[in-house]
Amino acid sequence: MSVREWALITFTILAQMSVGSFVILGILHFLAARKSSVEAADRLSDRALLAIGPVLILGMLASFAHLGNPLNAPRAVVNLGASWLSREIFFGVLFAILGGVFALMQWRKIATFQLRQVIAWIAALVGLVLVYSMAMVYMLETQPVWNTFATPVIFFSATILLGALAVGAALVANYAYVMRKDPSCAEAQCILLRDAVRWISIVSIVVMGVELVVIPLHLAYLANSAVPEAVTSAGLMFGQFGAVFALRLALVFIGAGLFALFLYRLALSPGQEKTLGNVVYGAFALVLVAEVMGRFLFYVTQVQVGL
Amino acid sequence: MAKQMAFYFNASTCTGCKACQVACQDRNNLPVDVRWRRVYQYGGGSWTPHPNLLIANNIYVYSLSVACMHCENALCADVCPTAAITKRSDGVVLLDSTKCIGCRYCEWACPYGAPQFDEAAGVMTKCDFCQDLQAKGENPACVDACVMRCLDYGDLEELRAKYGDLSSIEPLPKASITHPALVLTPHKHAQPTGAGNGKLINLPEEV
Repeated sequence: MSVREWALITFTILAQMSVGSFVILGILHFLAARKSSVEAADRLSDRALLAIGPVLILGMLASFAHLGNPLNAPRAVVNLGASWLSREIFFGVLFAILGGVFALMQWRKIATFQLRQVIAWIAALVGLVLVYSMAMVYMLETQPVWNTFATPVIFFSATILLGALAVGAALVANYAYVMRKDPSCAEAQCILLRDAVRWISIVSIVVMGVELVVIPLHLAYLANSAVPEAVTSAGLMFGQFGAVFALRLALVFIGAGLFALFLYRLALSPGQEKTLGNVVYGAFALVLVAEVMGRFLFYVTQVQVGL
Repeated sequence: MAKQMAFYFNASTCTGCKACQVACQDRNNLPVDVRWRRVYQYGGGSWTPHPNLLIANNIYVYSLSVACMHCENALCADVCPTAAITKRSDGVVLLDSTKCIGCRYCEWACPYGAPQFDEAAGVMTKCDFCQDLQAKGENPACVDACVMRCLDYGDLEELRAKYGDLSSIEPLPKASITHPALVLTPHKHAQPTGAGNGKLINLPEEV
């Protein structure tokens, strides 16, 4: 592993986390607005929305660290017709622009609610296309460990899982802030927060389930492949990096499974917001570490076909 | 059919001397660790006991000189985000380093190790079929340097008519991935691609 791979780990994780956060936050805002009012929903989610931009920018800056000649970077969108890498960069920049425009409009309440909603939906869609492009970048016939259905599944599951728990953490932090600033709306916000956390914990448990099925299946598929390089990759995952592989699965199970289950129960009744907050932070931290380990394995088990 | 420039390599006569590799690096002024042409040694076999006989061996080794295959399906050109890699009308795959961002994505796509990263310049480089020499009517440096006359070049169809249509043996990947513009005469011990019963025995600094 070199600086180059760590740059890619940082970029893919942060970009996926920001897309996931944007999508999940949008859905939570929609649900909260339907249940109470648009104003209350804004109060729940606006500050969290502003946190997404820096995460994405940080990820994109990290991606520059894997370039040998960053001065030519503007050329990287030239081959949109054939290169998924060009498409990834194009949709990444487009998502950053649309997301940024929406965040600004939402923060300053510029234009109508409907217009802002339209921009948000387009940005979310572009974000999901970005994650799809990121996965397609790795679907190369010369890279059997990546060239499977597991790559898009793992990228999308990381997107949703990291997004959901990052949003959970941001909402909890926002709630603590609102409580201090304006205790009058605390009760309404508390209901919305607990609804959101319940929703987040259900999403986490479902996506964790998907990961715990797909990741071992992927390993089994590689191990039984007719392509020798795939078998070598499986050997790395099972042998040299077996401890990382096992720990990665265990951490995602604890963070997005056990912690999420606990969260769901905590969020059923009011009065336990402090514990709730700490468990959300814990779950997010565990899943972040698990996904970074997973992405580390993704790159470190690469075995190329040919010379 | 469109013209497709190609290399021919005769594995049955190659001694693995690496004159082609050195000539390439010399001619193109390449840094020590940038190798547009590499000579691989592939070996395998073992001792096999025969009932009531001496223990015999089937140990083999052969060499393979590999440069850019100027593939018909050039994956490197497809994946390059800056379109720095292009396929010329005569089939030669060219890389314009001044457009390269050094992301090394082409390296992941190519199963022949043809795009080579120049650490000092931060960009990819690759075999350009000695286009400047060819423009003057001369042969590529590697072809002229081969003491055993193992290397030849020309139009793919003409080379196939002359030498047959084999384009992969171990340790080369299967030809269906990129359709390399390569014609091979196999070594007598050549293993079919995918046989997997031998391995590369080069030292790391050789390739």
